Amino acid sequence: MPKTRVGVFVCHCGNNIAGVVRVPEVVEYARGLPNVVHVEDNLYACSEEGLSAIKEQIAEQNLNRVVVASCTPRTHEPLFKAACEEAGLNKYLFEFVNIREHCSWIHMHDPARATEKAKELVKMGVAKACYLEPQEELESEVFPAALVIGGGVAGMTAALNLGRQGIQVHLVEREQELGGLVRNVRTLFPTEQDTEELLEPLVEQLKSHPQITTYLGGEVENVDGFIGDFDVTIATDRQTKELKVGTVIVATGAHELKPTGFYGYSRLPNVVTQLEFEERFKQEGADIPRNVVMINCVGARIPERTYCGRFCCTTAIKNAIWLKEQDPEANVYVLQRDVMAYGVDIEKFYRRSMELGVRFVRYDIENPPQIMGEERAEAVKAYHQLMGREVVLPADLVVLTTPLVPREDNERLSKMLKVPLGSEGFFLEAHVKLRPIEFATDGVYVCGSARYPSNIPESVSQAYAAAAKAAIPIRDGLVRVQAITAFCDEGTCTACGNCVQVCPFGAIELQEGRFGTTARVNVAQCKGCGCCVAACPSGALQQRGFDDRQLFSMICALAEEMTSGFGG
Amino acid sequence: MVLEDRGGDGFEPKILIFACNWCSYAGADLAGVSRLQMPPNSRVIRVMCSARVRPEFVITALSQGLDGVLILGCHPGDCHYSEGNYLTRRRGLFLKNLLEYMGIEPERFQVRWVSASEGAKFADIVEEVTGQLKGLCPNRPPGHSE
Amino acid sequence: MEDRLRDIVKKLLAEGGMEYLIGYCQGAEPLHVVPCFVIRQDDVEKLIWGPLCLQNLSKYVLQARELEGKVGLLVKGCDARAVVELLKQNQIERDKIVVVGVPCQGQVVPAKLEEVLGVPMEEVDGVEDIGEAFLVTIGEERREIPKEQVLREKCFYCKHPTSFEYDFTLGEMVPFSIDADKGEFALVEELEQLPLEERRAFWQKQFERCIRCNACREVCYACYCKECMFDKKMPRWLSKTPFLSDNQLYHLIRAFHLAGRCIDCGECERVCPMRIPLSRLYKKVQKDVAELFGYEAGIELDEVPPLVTFELEDQDPFM
Repeated sequence: MPKTRVGVFVCHCGNNIAGVVRVPEVVEYARGLPNVVHVEDNLYACSEEGLSAIKEQIAEQNLNRVVVASCTPRTHEPLFKAACEEAGLNKYLFEFVNIREHCSWIHMHDPARATEKAKELVKMGVAKACYLEPQEELESEVFPAALVIGGGVAGMTAALNLGRQGIQVHLVEREQELGGLVRNVRTLFPTEQDTEELLEPLVEQLKSHPQITTYLGGEVENVDGFIGDFDVTIATDRQTKELKVGTVIVATGAHELKPTGFYGYSRLPNVVTQLEFEERFKQEGADIPRNVVMINCVGARIPERTYCGRFCCTTAIKNAIWLKEQDPEANVYVLQRDVMAYGVDIEKFYRRSMELGVRFVRYDIENPPQIMGEERAEAVKAYHQLMGREVVLPADLVVLTTPLVPREDNERLSKMLKVPLGSEGFFLEAHVKLRPIEFATDGVYVCGSARYPSNIPESVSQAYAAAAKAAIPIRDGLVRVQAITAFCDEGTCTACGNCVQVCPFGAIELQEGRFGTTARVNVAQCKGCGCCVAACPSGALQQRGFDDRQLFSMICALAEEMTSGFGG
Repeated sequence: MVLEDRGGDGFEPKILIFACNWCSYAGADLAGVSRLQMPPNSRVIRVMCSARVRPEFVITALSQGLDGVLILGCHPGDCHYSEGNYLTRRRGLFLKNLLEYMGIEPERFQVRWVSASEGAKFADIVEEVTGQLKGLCPNRPPGHSE
Repeated sequence: MEDRLRDIVKKLLAEGGMEYLIGYCQGAEPLHVVPCFVIRQDDVEKLIWGPLCLQNLSKYVLQARELEGKVGLLVKGCDARAVVELLKQNQIERDKIVVVGVPCQGQVVPAKLEEVLGVPMEEVDGVEDIGEAFLVTIGEERREIPKEQVLREKCFYCKHPTSFEYDFTLGEMVPFSIDADKGEFALVEELEQLPLEERRAFWQKQFERCIRCNACREVCYACYCKECMFDKKMPRWLSKTPFLSDNQLYHLIRAFHLAGRCIDCGECERVCPMRIPLSRLYKKVQKDVAELFGYEAGIELDEVPPLVTFELEDQDPFM
């Protein structure tokens, strides 16, 4: 049996780690750990240079275990594992230690103790690594079809992109018509074209595409399974359909907040939201009101809902411009708390609106505008921040600019697909910067306002990205199942049946074998949760990569110097 | 976030946290990404599901002198593996009662639910538990040299 | 009852299906009862029954799994709970065992009897259950001792499995009931009400005395693992030396493993050479399993053990 030879690579991550944790100390400390034969540090372990260094050392030093101490495994673990494989080392002989998200970034004021903590975490990682064993991944076939939930702009774009790649797509849309939120909008910024001009061709292409099956008035009732093999139940009012797909894209969008309780909305007939404004007024024969006051940030950027809706300002500006173009004499005021007009186009638009005579008045959250009038809104009283006094603006119409808010159905869907929601109720991506349209759960992707309020160009880009990502497993035809599955040491197993009871996936059965009746794990069904291991009184069931010896060694490594509790 | 007892005198408890990959570990990552500061007393061991944590780990850790052990999992109903955290809940409840019956302070073993978006909650828990354990005696293993 | 027992066993042995019966017989001294394996017809006379047949014989059936034929087992109602559990836990097939139920109306703790009588057990010639009391014979003297004075703790709240069918019974299998005004968990509640430090001191004092002889584990029906966790080297959960911390770890973990499996046979406490009051620990396990999960081991054949299942409405103090 070759002696265990562990290589430890400590990352500076620029200044992110090294600015707090004294990396040289950690390197020195690691040198003294049992079985460690090589330690080095690197500015960015994940860079080309850093990865090459690892590969070189695996070869030169004959390393048979690699420990990288840097960021979170949830981002770069696959990268480092791939590097190990390229160097000829089984990728399951790799261990990741998190000394950034779990250390340098959260103990910035205490470098001394952060360094001590980093040392201990490395010690624990090395201890576990010594017990790692090479594993082979099981390959499982990917069913060559995709499910797109949501038939708005994002959903349709994603579906078309997948379909054009020759992939079969099932598109489920809850309403009887495709189009999503954009159907409630009349004209688009900044082109000011009618939304019909954008939607119609899209819908046409979608409906006529041979690879795409659309389910209107449909709901996804159930999703079981995992990447490559999802079993989906779709219910329309006419039938229930069960089908298989390989990947799923969530494009369920969001909806406009209806701000009941704010500014007399739902009580006063002439207080409306931006979308309601579009519906009521942007049509033939509608009476254009002379005095319009818009109030921005209604229900957004408040303690109960702290986020900014991103493009609601754009919508307000668009509608303000439209009003002025319909009636140059109209008095249009926009009461705002910062105008979000990012980029070239929106900024130009903003200036144009001001040139047309739209007046922007800044108000404070401490001093919100007040609606005056009993049966109808007649005026808006606002504290003009710059002028330093109150103004009363006559209003025939008050338009409230509200953000998009998550759909109530998100929770049900999130549980079904096993993907998380963020604190605001939108879907939470795997990593805000590095994996913005994926989930930590493999095979499920997200685009459009389901994730956070996105305008059309953003939704379209995200849809392209989601479609691209969702196509990859289907193109590959195979997915590798992570080898963190459970297995039973049949010689020790007493067939008590605890594991069979406990397994959420029914992956364990009692079977006759060499040692009589014992438990056996079906690796294809095992999802690697480890429930069974904890339920096994004799320790016969173990989980690859998370077995009792490995985790126990981490506990012992941590507690080793603890003959007394003093000192920390 | 105020850090108390930075180095030097004063007892610093050492806390072991088991965090599940899909929710609580991600929540801990989010706390890091958000730069939420917290006392450096805890060490996280990643598991795929909180249900992987067997009571022997908790009891071993406490008997070896660690001051506290936390199991963090997904909120009930949100387990990535559907049911794991329900098992954790039962085991945790039973173990908690048993440990307390044996005279081990209830603060030393806790189970909490932390979702992937609850970075702030993770930070709060670390702060809270560190404070609680600081108020107790160091958990030196009995029967070993004092 | 002894006659009926011997008749049944003679018949079963003669028929040939049953290889041997596990029952009770007299040990080295009078009133010292030991388990015995009756294989031949002439051994049948050794079989006895009385209030001193304390052992839970159920665990012995596990040795018989390799046999061609069946094995017979004599059980009291309380010990039959172990049989129910062994069936649930796939350790034995129902058609491999012949279960003979013996109606028990209370067992005697020898130490308590000695105290009440004021004489050592060696001088006692006989103890008989006469219904309302125990009839003790010491030479020529016959004394009636009220049952509650010498009764085994678990007999005060005698429990039988409800959905188990014995192959034979020596009488009606009715739980023994006595109006003794004793809470089942009184000893546990006593400890629960102490302040934490006193409880800790209590248990430390007890476990300091543990010599890790493993008798409790060897006698327990539920400890049938081929390789006990505590004997494993990888990981080495425990050292072999009786450090206090390791002793506590041993007992705590064993208690956890017994959650939902402990049937309150009382054997662990009975066999402990250091007289550690293990019933105080295991009654707690039973109490929590009952209160938290509404479960009692060994009563129903088709109930799922509490720690391998869950309810959506389980208590959740964790938030």
